[in-house]
Amino acid sequence: MTGPLRLLESLGAVAIYLFAIVRSLFTGPRYVAETLRVADILVRRCLLPVGLAVAPVGAVISLQGVHIFRSFGAEELLSSLLATAVFREYSPALASVMVAAQAGSSIAARIGTMQVRGQIDALAVMSVDPIRYVVVPGLIACAIVTPLLNVLTTILGLASGWFFAVVLSGCDHGSFMANLYSQVSMVDLWVGMGKCLVFGTAVGLIAGYLGLRTSGGATGVGKAANNTVTYTIVLILVVDYLASMLLLRWGL
Amino acid sequence: MPEGFHYVPPTDPAPAVVFENVSKSFGKQCVLDSVSLVVPKGAIMVMLGPSGTGKSVLLRCLVGLIKPDAGHIYVFGEDLTALDESRSADRNKLFALRRKFGMLFQDGALFDDMSVGDNVAFPMVQHTRLGTAEIRRQVAENLKRVGLPGVENKMVSELSGGMRKRVAFARAIALRPEIVLCDEPSSGLDPVMSATLDELIQELHRELGMTFIVISHDTAEARKISTHIGLLYKGKLQAFDTAERVLNSSHSHVKQFFERNTQGPIKVL
Repeated sequence: MTGPLRLLESLGAVAIYLFAIVRSLFTGPRYVAETLRVADILVRRCLLPVGLAVAPVGAVISLQGVHIFRSFGAEELLSSLLATAVFREYSPALASVMVAAQAGSSIAARIGTMQVRGQIDALAVMSVDPIRYVVVPGLIACAIVTPLLNVLTTILGLASGWFFAVVLSGCDHGSFMANLYSQVSMVDLWVGMGKCLVFGTAVGLIAGYLGLRTSGGATGVGKAANNTVTYTIVLILVVDYLASMLLLRWGL
Repeated sequence: MPEGFHYVPPTDPAPAVVFENVSKSFGKQCVLDSVSLVVPKGAIMVMLGPSGTGKSVLLRCLVGLIKPDAGHIYVFGEDLTALDESRSADRNKLFALRRKFGMLFQDGALFDDMSVGDNVAFPMVQHTRLGTAEIRRQVAENLKRVGLPGVENKMVSELSGGMRKRVAFARAIALRPEIVLCDEPSSGLDPVMSATLDELIQELHRELGMTFIVISHDTAEARKISTHIGLLYKGKLQAFDTAERVLNSSHSHVKQFFERNTQGPIKVL
């Protein structure tokens, strides 16, 4: 098959996949128990790595920022920068990247393994739609779990920032807390949550697609998991940058 | 059809499965070449053939996992090939048709993250309104039938190859389907285990009147259980008839295959 034909075939496959997903989201049967089971697994798998990845970021912002702000005599404003950075950028991006790394790879590997072992075909022969039963629960779980983890990472990021600024660097607790929310509004919170919802959905979609397209045994499964992580992280970081640029331009 | 082997049961008004000039190619490789056959209701049809001659593709076409390039497949009179999976109504029809099938996959295709009991219960949970206690009872009964009582709580990874195949068989017959498809049921099994599965097929055929379509290259299995035999080679149906007629025929492909000869029309691929 030539290059353009292959591209056309891939685009067609993506369109069919997305159509099947949309149809499954709006029509029954729905596998609520399976969705909750997957969400439970994802939360357990992501909680610790996400916490470990985000907590140092708040600390680093405080650590670096305190010296600069101090030199301008404005160390009480450190918490404003910390809150804006954590709410809008670091927490959503890192929570999404960690979900991509942990949940995306595990979903792609699971579906890929099911594909190469004939379990996806077995589902279809048993009149159970694999997209509904395997892909959609993972997609919904990612879309729910990512914003939930974002809440946790935001709290952790702020707490670690407070710890390094107040406890270790001697900033005033009162002014830190007073200025923490001075530059952030509900818009920042919703922007962060919205990003997580979009990124989580993208992780679920990409992991499901690459999982279902797996072929070639164990090597194929590894490749699907690896590609899921690479594609989703690149997508998250690029879209995050573009979204931030657009939102700032729109004054949000 | 060479040497007059095209079998059309004259007294069967509603055959279980009909293949009508079914062809399928992957790229330039023709895997099924105008295959036509009729499987009567209640038959045990064993489709023989060397590895890589299109037997599994035949089975996958029959359950709608692969769409043939040409021809028609009728299941209890319903044209499976006319159904377009992208259309909602056709999709529902296809799923309803598939519920008439139970399929034993070559390597079982059991779900690794479920227990044995959950695997066998899966079709019942999905397609019936039976209560948990009744499902549990039927799972135990099916597992006992395949000679594995009391393994409900084991995980699939704890089972041997033969046990997996029997659990997969228990799952395939869980909804008492009208047609059971078996893809190489004896591959990878020792002779005693193969014989056990063969007897299980005969028992279910006798007791429940199920139709079996078995893909195999095991001639001993074909001799033992079949009411009908087909022989597929290079995508062409070389022979198809009642077991008695096939086994007594002087058809060159059949003779070579059953006599395990290296000389003859069937070449090693």
